Amino acid sequence: MNQLLLPLDVMVFELRRSLTIGRIAIWMMLIAFPLGIVTTISMAAKLKLGERYTAEHLTEPFGMAMYFLIPEVSCLLGLLLWATPAISTEIEGQTWVYLMMRQSGRGVVLIGKYLTGVVWTLSASLIAVALCCIVVGPDIGSELWWVLTKLVTLSCFVHAALYLSIGTIFYRRTMVAAVLYTVFVEYVVSFIPALVNKFTINYRLRGLLADWMKWDNARSQAEHIFGSESASMHLMMLALMVAILLGIAVYRVQRTEYPTQQEG
Amino acid sequence: MIELSHVTKMYGNVVGVNDLDVSLESAAYGLIGPNGSGKTTLINLLIGHFRPTIGTVRVFGKTPTSHRGILRKIGLCPASDVLYPNVSALEWVKYLVRLHGMSHRESLVSAETALEIVGMTDAMHRPMGTYSLGMRQRTKIAQAIAHEPDLLILDEPYNGLDPVGRAEMTAVLKSWVAKGRGLLFASHVLQEIEAVTSAFLLIHGGRLLASGSASDIESILVDTPQQVVIVGPDAARLVHRLADVPWVDSLSMSAGRTELKVSLRDPAEFYRQVPKWIHSDGLSIEQLRASGGNLETVFESLLKHHRGEVT
Repeated sequence: MNQLLLPLDVMVFELRRSLTIGRIAIWMMLIAFPLGIVTTISMAAKLKLGERYTAEHLTEPFGMAMYFLIPEVSCLLGLLLWATPAISTEIEGQTWVYLMMRQSGRGVVLIGKYLTGVVWTLSASLIAVALCCIVVGPDIGSELWWVLTKLVTLSCFVHAALYLSIGTIFYRRTMVAAVLYTVFVEYVVSFIPALVNKFTINYRLRGLLADWMKWDNARSQAEHIFGSESASMHLMMLALMVAILLGIAVYRVQRTEYPTQQEG
Repeated sequence: MIELSHVTKMYGNVVGVNDLDVSLESAAYGLIGPNGSGKTTLINLLIGHFRPTIGTVRVFGKTPTSHRGILRKIGLCPASDVLYPNVSALEWVKYLVRLHGMSHRESLVSAETALEIVGMTDAMHRPMGTYSLGMRQRTKIAQAIAHEPDLLILDEPYNGLDPVGRAEMTAVLKSWVAKGRGLLFASHVLQEIEAVTSAFLLIHGGRLLASGSASDIESILVDTPQQVVIVGPDAARLVHRLADVPWVDSLSMSAGRTELKVSLRDPAEFYRQVPKWIHSDGLSIEQLRASGGNLETVFESLLKHHRGEVT
């Protein structure tokens, strides 16, 4: 039990030392950014449609906007800042040597940092979802809230594992590698109507969005975007991705001779 | 305690350490060598961070890369600084001890005890960003000893310490050694090591040039070519004596004719003959010293010995 709680202790330590003005400002930005855009869209819709404005008719536009802004952008931005540099910051700060000297240092620290990235980003994203749903109103907000909450949670766990593994492989120019991967694979390849897009996280999340929101029309018209698999298949694939990506990250961190940046 | 069997570590085409072959019983050792000599590479091999390219490393009978459990028996104080500015020393040391799998309570007690040993009790609740370099250095020592390891490895532990801090640190390390625990103390300053232990490992260019006590190393050096500077108003009068002997390679007189630099092929013969000549000729000589007088010269001499350039 003592050993099992170690990653949580790492998480507590990491969260405690992340309570800086800069980090808190970024956390608040992750909430303010989607909230500001959704508020603007909502106001623009009300101004344009006037009396004809009814939220029920705008479920899909609001749902897609909130899905894109929170699980696909906010979550990724938060995790890019937290999960990607998990190891590289310790290497650059020359503190990795203190951690890997510990009996449980490498794997436990990695998992602890993974949980830290998830908790930190998830907390901001969940608040953003809740506030955005309040803005769009209770008519569609309650349905969107539940679906987006599930998607945000999945997005954080899977993308954190992805960025963590990228961080352990490319410990130099980590952010560049992660951003390039995100842009090319998650934003380009995930829309390619071929087998390859099924291996992207965003394809699975979009599939779940369409399935849980019962957007059957959208699924039939744009199968390469929303997929045709069942929700359980998407969930299983996402779980498999987390397991594989974390496995790669742990293996890398256990085996790699990261530079200690010491002379002598 | 430590067994290195023909250990070589390569970084691509660059040699980190080269064919280290040594076995050390549990005791205190000074690992001495200039910057870039391979000290830190050796330490990284001992803690299992690096795998040897060739050879085997065993610490307490186990291979560190595959038996992470032995890290519980090793404490490391690296040369690198601590960069967690908003974390207190107590939080940090407790966290690192906890990563050894000790309980919260044990970790806290161990961290407090270690910080007390290094004299950091009063400041241990303050963020480390407010510490002086010396305080951070002492905190680093605390994290290395907190889990009570059997082998303590220190990489340049005196960096940033003022004379009082150095004296206190020496006392801590002497007390550590007195308890019969293992110590490997890496430094490029001989005097720092001499204050704690008289057993040395001399490393240069990734090679172990010599090991043993100071007198063992002196006995190697006595047969190794050296440069000696003779200082005094009558230094020039020794030239005619030294010009004819086979164990002198070259002589060089300073402009003021008060310093005579002598390159020796056989230092032992020099030290036998010169005092006799000074006495018999009634010369006024103020000083005899090794040219350069620094560790680099000693290493160069040992390197020649190691290469077999001297028999």
